[in-house]
Amino acid sequence: MKLSPAPRILVIAAIALGAPAALLCLASYFWGLWFLLLSLVLIVIERRLSLGAQAFTAAVRRALARAAIPVGGIASALLFGALIMALTGYDPIVSYKALFYGGLVRNWNVSVLNATPLIFTGLAVAFAFQGGLFNIGAEGQYYIGVMAATWLGLRLDLPPLVAIPVIYAAGAAMGAALNGIPALLKVRTGAHEVITTMMCAYAVRTLAPMFIRANGGDPAVTTHPGATDQVSQQVWLPLFKDFLPAANYRLHIGIIIAIACAFLVRFILMKTSLGYKIRAVGHNKVAARTAGISVGKITVASLLISGMLAALSGVTQDLGLDHRMFQDLNAGYGWNGISIALLARNNPLLIIFTALLWGVLDAGGQFMARTAQTPNAIIEIVKGTVLFLLLAEVIYEKIGGWLGRLLLRRFTRGRTGADA
Amino acid sequence: MSRLLADLFTPQLLGATVRLAAPVSLGALASVVCERSGVTNIAMEGVMLVGAFCAAWAAWLTGSPWLGLLGGAAGGVLFSLLFAWAAVSLHMNHVVAGAIMNILSFGITRYLMVVVYGHQGTSPSIAHSLQDYRLAIPFLSRVPFIGPALFDQTPIVYLSLLAAVLWAWIYARTRLGLSMIASGEHPMALETLGRSVLRVRYTAILLAGVLCGAAGAFLSIENADSFTEGMTGGRGFIALAANIAGGWRPVGALLASLFFGFVDAFQLRAQSLGIIRLPSEVFLVFPYVATILAVAGFVRKSRPPAAVGKDFTVEGNGE
Repeated sequence: MKLSPAPRILVIAAIALGAPAALLCLASYFWGLWFLLLSLVLIVIERRLSLGAQAFTAAVRRALARAAIPVGGIASALLFGALIMALTGYDPIVSYKALFYGGLVRNWNVSVLNATPLIFTGLAVAFAFQGGLFNIGAEGQYYIGVMAATWLGLRLDLPPLVAIPVIYAAGAAMGAALNGIPALLKVRTGAHEVITTMMCAYAVRTLAPMFIRANGGDPAVTTHPGATDQVSQQVWLPLFKDFLPAANYRLHIGIIIAIACAFLVRFILMKTSLGYKIRAVGHNKVAARTAGISVGKITVASLLISGMLAALSGVTQDLGLDHRMFQDLNAGYGWNGISIALLARNNPLLIIFTALLWGVLDAGGQFMARTAQTPNAIIEIVKGTVLFLLLAEVIYEKIGGWLGRLLLRRFTRGRTGADA
Repeated sequence: MSRLLADLFTPQLLGATVRLAAPVSLGALASVVCERSGVTNIAMEGVMLVGAFCAAWAAWLTGSPWLGLLGGAAGGVLFSLLFAWAAVSLHMNHVVAGAIMNILSFGITRYLMVVVYGHQGTSPSIAHSLQDYRLAIPFLSRVPFIGPALFDQTPIVYLSLLAAVLWAWIYARTRLGLSMIASGEHPMALETLGRSVLRVRYTAILLAGVLCGAAGAFLSIENADSFTEGMTGGRGFIALAANIAGGWRPVGALLASLFFGFVDAFQLRAQSLGIIRLPSEVFLVFPYVATILAVAGFVRKSRPPAAVGKDFTVEGNGE
């Protein structure tokens, strides 16, 4: 079916309006929301025009049905968190008010900053998942990315337009190299990547203090132990403030790189032959092998790309926000990346939103801990519960079946006398 | 040189090997129990962490490290129940369910730290740890070299040694053991005989919960006297590797764990003697590298249970 000219113009208008509006929203220009809404309305109109009345209602109904489980799951997890808070002597209403005010309004820029590295690690985990592999060591690849960026950032003396891409490339290469160990072992010996990626991550984390000491963090000679020297200002990522003056002074363009990466990953997975092969191997190894796909090569490729993506997370965090490597090595980017990928069902574009959700929960949780004195570890419990509820599809079937039986029993009672 | 080796390889090193192997070997046995019955359990790291917290908490509340051990095991079982529900009843992918359990365990222990003790980080010390109940078995502990290593130890270390031997016997001689092996190799066959795969797998996961809870208790109330956030340090995953290196057999897993214990003990000894001038991180990384080598080296020589990690439903023919 060919698009008639009117809908096509609507789509173009919606994108032209929506993309800058989204950018404005990310930079805490909240009036951008109106334009985002307008762009959504345009898309709805376009759908209605090109689908026709009946198909449109059906599509809306499908979309609502599909949204029911995520929305219900998140709401139930928040309720569960409230219950725990109430049982342990914290006021859930005050806490949640602080959480959402902090995460969505007051410290929205922190939410965006939190989401940036998570999008990358989420993509890394999702990419491996698509190939049927579990990269649970994204944290280690993140650190190797930070190390590569710091090492080069301290030494490279090139104009920013050359230096930044060079650092990104080097970081990606290091991430791929680190994940090359699990990849080769998997193909050569069959060693399960769950163990090897995790062990590589622990190894990198253990060795990181050596790197920090060697690059300016030696407590014997420096005033800032536990962190390297600052990388050259030349390689810092540009800030939103440079073109949007009211944006927060820490907000860097890393989020745009991350979103672009999500689109790129989607393109690779869905539109290239490599992506097709990766998904084929992830779906059914035997069938893929029968179809002439070299399962070993594809396995290596997906783990290497996954490692690259996770390392880009570290590079972006280093060049954009931290500008040095810290010894505080418990950031949890690996596990949070897994959560985000699982929650988005390994869909690269959905990862942008699940990462933002996680970013909001983290930023809001910190604000909540400061203002309402509720321990922000409750947020970790809520996150885990969200995951649990959204991934256990069978729960809904069971609840549905249970409700169905209950209704059935009510209607058939007295007539057959049969038990359920 | 020989003087150096004599300094390094002392009976104390052997004793430390057996001692440091205990948490890994309990975890490895838990992994054997789960995988032989068809469940891939990467939740062990989280279960150990919850067990370690509950043990320190119970010991702190009651003043008795024995009740602490009980509390650790109970915490491990309760937390494992959630994993069993997810992986067996709700048919979630085992690795995914395990990852969620790990995420939950970090949150739960961090939250409970604040609720119980009012701060994050490390819990206050308990008055008596299980270290105070070291028991030298008469006569046996006098055997040169291996005597003090095997028969002059603390309670959970004995438990780790006994559990492996006991479990080997259960596999070889009992109906329960046979059911568990069948559940991992051919669950449909077990179901056809009228025994519930679901029940066998629940049993396996909960038993693993007891073992991991005890491993956690070792870390918090036997090897130390307090709980520290994230104190398991990847032992749940190392245990998984020990299970594979040991060929999915209880005694094999114990021997593989002793290897990891040795790596740990050697690392500590070499570091404290200062014979090799290297940053401490180089030594700390040993166990992780050893794990990678062990998984890579041994995995080909043995075969995993046929149905490990596969969801079982009667309608789906066990696939």
